[in-house]
Amino acid sequence: MVFTARFLLPPPAPTPRVSPWPRLITLTPPPPSSYPLLGRAHSASSCLLPGQVEIGILDMAAAATAVSSTTKGNGTSGRSGPSEASGPRKKKGPGPLATAYLVIYNVVMTAGWLVIAVGLVRAYLAKGSYHSLYFSIEKPLKFFQTGALLEILHCAIGIVPSSVVLTSFQVMSRVFLIWAVTHSVKEVQSEDSVLLFVIAWTVTEIIRYSFYTFSLLNHLPYIIKWARYTLFIVLYPMGVSGELLTIYAALPFVRQANLYSISLPNKYNFSFDYYAFLILIMISYIPLFPQLYLHMIHQRRKVLSHPEEQKKYE
Amino acid sequence: MKHYEVEILDAKTREKLCFLDKVEPNATIAEIKNLFTKSHPQWYAARQSLRLDPKGKSLKDEDILQNLPVGTTATLYFRDLGAQISWVTVFLTEYAGPLLIYLLFYFRVPFIYGHKYDFTSSRHTVVHLACICHSFHYIKRLLETLFVHRFSHGTMPLRNIFKNCTYYWGFAAWMAYYINHPLYTPPTYGGQQVKLALAIFALCQLGNFSIHIALRNLRPAGSKTRKIPYPTKNPFTWLFLLVSCPNYTYEVGSWIGFAIMTQCLPVALFTLVGFIQMTIWAKGKHRSYLKEFRDYPPLRSPIIPFIL
Repeated sequence: MVFTARFLLPPPAPTPRVSPWPRLITLTPPPPSSYPLLGRAHSASSCLLPGQVEIGILDMAAAATAVSSTTKGNGTSGRSGPSEASGPRKKKGPGPLATAYLVIYNVVMTAGWLVIAVGLVRAYLAKGSYHSLYFSIEKPLKFFQTGALLEILHCAIGIVPSSVVLTSFQVMSRVFLIWAVTHSVKEVQSEDSVLLFVIAWTVTEIIRYSFYTFSLLNHLPYIIKWARYTLFIVLYPMGVSGELLTIYAALPFVRQANLYSISLPNKYNFSFDYYAFLILIMISYIPLFPQLYLHMIHQRRKVLSHPEEQKKYE
Repeated sequence: MKHYEVEILDAKTREKLCFLDKVEPNATIAEIKNLFTKSHPQWYAARQSLRLDPKGKSLKDEDILQNLPVGTTATLYFRDLGAQISWVTVFLTEYAGPLLIYLLFYFRVPFIYGHKYDFTSSRHTVVHLACICHSFHYIKRLLETLFVHRFSHGTMPLRNIFKNCTYYWGFAAWMAYYINHPLYTPPTYGGQQVKLALAIFALCQLGNFSIHIALRNLRPAGSKTRKIPYPTKNPFTWLFLLVSCPNYTYEVGSWIGFAIMTQCLPVALFTLVGFIQMTIWAKGKHRSYLKEFRDYPPLRSPIIPFIL
């Protein structure tokens, strides 16, 4: 009945001011295609800006990769001020100059991956078999996949409202596979598994970049949206299989050559076993893949079945 | 006396969760939270966030009902902050881990290094010194948690303990593995390097401790007042002239000392990651100070004098 103010309970901070491990989770529903190696997540809406990556799930993976900024990880409003609630997404887009640049960037990337696709088809027709097609598209593949590093920059300077950490994680994992596995271990370049992930990436990226292009121009054909939110069902497992098989194939050669490995004793008291590292990478697929895949399935249901409710998921 | 009525709605679903009548006008939010717990025992006070607007800021426990912009029937929105754990518990757990883990490596407990090294001792003085420094550091942290710090917040989300412990315990194991390894290589410049590094470490530990004491003295027991910290008679606190968070500055300094002393790359990486995190915290703290106090000394930088 009578309430005296004798409660000395401390206030619960919605997020602690100085928590050592600030949350990276953002609270808005993340769009699919957010798996690390098959492309990044984007929002459902056609008039939303490309490159929105808000994946609660990747929080654990991202947390393992980097220390991030404090309090909240509300990727939607980018690096703006603290907001504890998942309020309405701010739709302040990039300015006209940035938009023009992004359109050009996305068109160039779409074209680049089309070049790779065409290169694959031509090489197949010329050779008559699907083996060792990697060599015919090696250069454009390296160029355009590495070029995706720019997307990290886009997030960092704010013209794309995605989380820098998540984008970095995803792009770096692709770049890792291209350079630190396929390029570095020449013996796996003729493996069929390479073709598996190259095809998966190529199709995904063509759709993804054209999705962005159209979104920026505010004219997204449904077929593109449908493709983005449907083809992953096949492409994602395909890509993951290709990647895992390739890493697995590289293992014996890494062991043999002690590639990228340092052992004790040395001046800096450090050691690194690349072989063990690759195995850890492979193991990390086990928790990550199902979560991301299921997440994308859920997103697909939301995005494709309620077109009039799209706006909710922007 | 006019009593208030308080209805509590879920911030997301707007569902009516609780209706309190005959609430005293001078009731605090803390008291209201306790009342709310009565009807929903699974939401103890620490995990409640009550606010006037579903998307607004949380109300503080000390806020008084009649001072809020509400009518005699107040509507508050509730948000579940998730399972909470006390700061003290988290700190104690995350610091006790490295203390023990490092010692496991130092004593070369079986199954870490080869069996022929079980329970052997390093022949390098610096390895013993490093163990003393590392252990001292974490004992100091534990004691400060128990006796020095006055926390602003009682609790933090439960998942933080897993993240924090993974970070501290993981890095401690990684560093300890190399420093106590049978194939450990002592620093290139020998005794000189170790002595210099030890001096840096010791001074920074003292500095860090001095700042913690100074900060404690700013705030009476049980309160959550915030004041601008100023230099005291203790020379280590004079860093307050140039920096908002000298405790972080000294902390980074300690780890730099430790890294130089052990000449171990994992230690340097740990120092770097810690530095990045503390810089983020220092910048946040600095910004809060600037926002809260008009007369905040302009010369101060967040963590590194003049630079950062």
